[in-house]
Amino acid sequence: MFRACLTVATTFLCAQVSLYATDLLPADQPMESVIDHYVDDLIKTNDVQTASQIDEHILIRRLTLDLAGRIPTTAELHAFVSADPATRRAKLVDKLLASPDFIDHHRNELQVLLEYPDRRNDKDFRNYLLWATEQNRPWNTMFRDMLAGDENDEYQKAALQFVRHRAKSLDDLTNDTAVLFFGVNVSCAKCHDHPLVEDWKQDHYYGMQSFFSRTFLTKKQSLGEKFYGDVKFTTTSGVEKQAQFMFLNGSVVKDDTPELDDDSRKKYDALVKKLQQDDKIEVSYPEFRPRERLVETASHKDNDAFLARNIVNRIWHRMTGRGIVDPPDQLHSENSPSHPELLDWLARDTVENGYDLKRLIRGIALSRIYSRSSEWNSAAAPPSPHYFAVAIPRPLSPRQYAMSLLVATRNPPHWEQWLTKPAEDWKKERTNLENATNNWDDAFEIPGENFQVAVDEALFFSNNNRIDNDLLRDSGDRLVGHLKKLDDPEAALSAAFEAVNSRQPTDDERKAIIEYLESRREDSPAAIKQVVWALLTGPELRFNH
Amino acid sequence: MAQPGSIFCGSADHGLSRRGFLGAAGAATAGTFAADMTRLDGLKNPLLAGQVKRQQKSVILLWLAGGASQFETWDPKPGQSTGGPYSKIKTSANDVHISELLPKMAQRMNHTAIIRSINSKIGDHGGGASLMETGRVKDPGLIYPDIGAIAARELGRADSQVPDYVSMYTSTEGRRKGTSGFLGARYAPMFLSDKQIPDNMRRLEAISDVDHKDRAALRDLLSKRFTKARHSEKINSHTTAYSRVHGLMSSEKLFDIEQEPESVRAKYGPRQFAQQCLIARRLVEAGTPFVKVARAWWDSHGQNFETHRELCADLDHAMSTLLDDLEERGLLENTLVVTLGEFGRTPKINASLGRDHFANAWSCSLSGCGVRGGSFYGKTEPEGNTVADGEVGAAEVFATILEALGIDHEKEYMIGSRPIPLSDFGAKPIKEVLA
Repeated sequence: MFRACLTVATTFLCAQVSLYATDLLPADQPMESVIDHYVDDLIKTNDVQTASQIDEHILIRRLTLDLAGRIPTTAELHAFVSADPATRRAKLVDKLLASPDFIDHHRNELQVLLEYPDRRNDKDFRNYLLWATEQNRPWNTMFRDMLAGDENDEYQKAALQFVRHRAKSLDDLTNDTAVLFFGVNVSCAKCHDHPLVEDWKQDHYYGMQSFFSRTFLTKKQSLGEKFYGDVKFTTTSGVEKQAQFMFLNGSVVKDDTPELDDDSRKKYDALVKKLQQDDKIEVSYPEFRPRERLVETASHKDNDAFLARNIVNRIWHRMTGRGIVDPPDQLHSENSPSHPELLDWLARDTVENGYDLKRLIRGIALSRIYSRSSEWNSAAAPPSPHYFAVAIPRPLSPRQYAMSLLVATRNPPHWEQWLTKPAEDWKKERTNLENATNNWDDAFEIPGENFQVAVDEALFFSNNNRIDNDLLRDSGDRLVGHLKKLDDPEAALSAAFEAVNSRQPTDDERKAIIEYLESRREDSPAAIKQVVWALLTGPELRFNH
Repeated sequence: MAQPGSIFCGSADHGLSRRGFLGAAGAATAGTFAADMTRLDGLKNPLLAGQVKRQQKSVILLWLAGGASQFETWDPKPGQSTGGPYSKIKTSANDVHISELLPKMAQRMNHTAIIRSINSKIGDHGGGASLMETGRVKDPGLIYPDIGAIAARELGRADSQVPDYVSMYTSTEGRRKGTSGFLGARYAPMFLSDKQIPDNMRRLEAISDVDHKDRAALRDLLSKRFTKARHSEKINSHTTAYSRVHGLMSSEKLFDIEQEPESVRAKYGPRQFAQQCLIARRLVEAGTPFVKVARAWWDSHGQNFETHRELCADLDHAMSTLLDDLEERGLLENTLVVTLGEFGRTPKINASLGRDHFANAWSCSLSGCGVRGGSFYGKTEPEGNTVADGEVGAAEVFATILEALGIDHEKEYMIGSRPIPLSDFGAKPIKEVLA
């Protein structure tokens, strides 16, 4: 049995080393065509049917939600629909990626990811992420900032909130780092070698834990590291073992500090104790700093497959609703990627291009698979989601939904000015909108594997006075106020649908709703409100589809 | 109450004139809605409730927030140095003695089983509560559902028109909302904080009943077109959440004890804990699978005996009234009433006449559904410092609760590729207290 495990482990290591050596498409081929090549290849091999491409209305909506974190305004919608079909998609993608919207949205997405599984909304951490996304800071550098940043640097200090928040729980620190940066869930291997996954042994869990076990929080809330100390664990057969500073692929770091005598140990123990109790003394660090060594090891070109594949897979998951490895924290040999070459190509591309996440997002946004419809009209069962043959409807994040509600419920002409105004002005407006979402963020669930809409959300929309007093207010600056002024119910209906769902109503919808509005002619302002409410609470707004 | 045909509109005229636009969407929703209303109406009458043979099992968890003393409740040690001033009394179950602070419960022990040998090890409020609520130690990267969410999921109906997990508390301290963890928000508790009625249950006066129903029907219409060709559990959960709104709003009256006859209210009396137990009974009767009523604050680091004299009187009255009421209505055989907290209290009486946190040898009780009434399990040594016999942990208590409800405690949820059993790996239910 032991020998068998060893064989598997060795094979796994080889697979790691050969990451960029397999026969991949050329590195200089445009990313979008590489994506389509590999995805279509699997589809053709298995003779799978695909959904059609989406129309321009759903396309601008999907892109704006993914790249700007909100639905498009009516003004943006009209401009896009009337632009040259040959070039408008690429132009929009580049425009959105350069917009302040992208910075806020990308920050929000990273924040939700990195604060998992809690929902702290930590202000310092948010500021760090904003600063980092503003300059498109490379992901491997952000990884360093968050795990082993410099406490004397204002931003890196804030980045270290990642560690600081988890400093009291070694298990959280170990597991969350493995899950969020390497796509690996080793927590099962804490008490026993992973029962289903040969890759993960207790050695890996405690190996990863070793890099954090010396970390402690000083009285000043700085992060210190102890001068010595090893992790010991007991195997299921009852043997006590000392863990090594071991990365997930088996790479081991040696602590080359000379063995300390009892007196030095006592001296260092006293120092650590003092740092934990006294907020006046300066932190001094040992020569050997395990967290830094983890960052070095994980970013080293021989070992960076975990770091690179994980972030590629996370971004892919964000943009398509499913990971190439799915679920995204199960990157190991028993859970093969649906498209291994594609994952490798993208990982290689990401490493070679300085961990530029914008580049990755752009490539996915321009691919044909990204613009497939989420509708499956055939009588046959829809193909398995791992083919990416049909788009997966994705629930909006709390901030996406809040922002979209705010955008949808302004009076549509308000947005026209931004088509021509300088970008700086829009940045201010966008920041105001972003701040306004702070008041709504809590009302919604964060999307995840087990996401469900809570009945609390439905009750909130049904009966909370904020919906009526804010979103449905009929003052001139609001959608309802604007619609009220339009005499023609047909025109009101079109404007409402465009503002909320980025499209015109279908004939059936038009007929049914006009009939409703006619029946309520004695109080048409109230009737218009109900139509807008129905649009705001509908699944079409709630999901990116 | 609105009739099924006109459910989207208070006026019959409007209902007729808009039938075209409502179409099939309205009719379908109205159907399920009406069915549930009938059920609620029928259950108003205790006799009828008794006649309807209920299959639905429920739990009422009386959460003793802060940690009640086992000495002053289920495991008295009079005469010992650790025993405190109160004596023990005989109960309606032979061999079982409990604290004299629970005289009414003593007469009803034939419905109740006591577990006296819990060693749950964790002695801080947050950690202990989380352990006892989820039946296991927190695991990094996973948020476990608590017992309420599991009961809601295993015993509730997906489209339930009544809340399926309600959580109430009394004091400003020890307010824990409960969590559905990886089971998802569908099973999250409806939480009552400072009010007797959950948030957003009541229609705003500014919106007419007609408008409220019309817009729901409009939403349905738009939603149907959108969901037709999109196959997604996540979208379905959105539809389900909205389809439950009107049912839940109608269940608002379940939270209103004024609906009860004066005679029933008189039995429960004026105190909040007992009144919340009455609400719990109303909810359970209408089909709610899990209700938690938290009573705080038992954390008697000082003046333990004063504190327990007051709190035990409250518990004794509320719990015994609740058990009587459930029995009278034929609900007790399908309703499990649990008393539990985050831990017990130290044998040692401190200088402030208090008892501190103690998780190494303490008690809980189970009554009603699936329980061998009048039994007890486990023993502490004479001074109560350690478990002498039948040591169990949080996982065993959890497994026992699930088994009493007829839920397979070894059933697994798959989280990614990871199987998570309902009760922690290897936990066995305590057969001795199960019927």
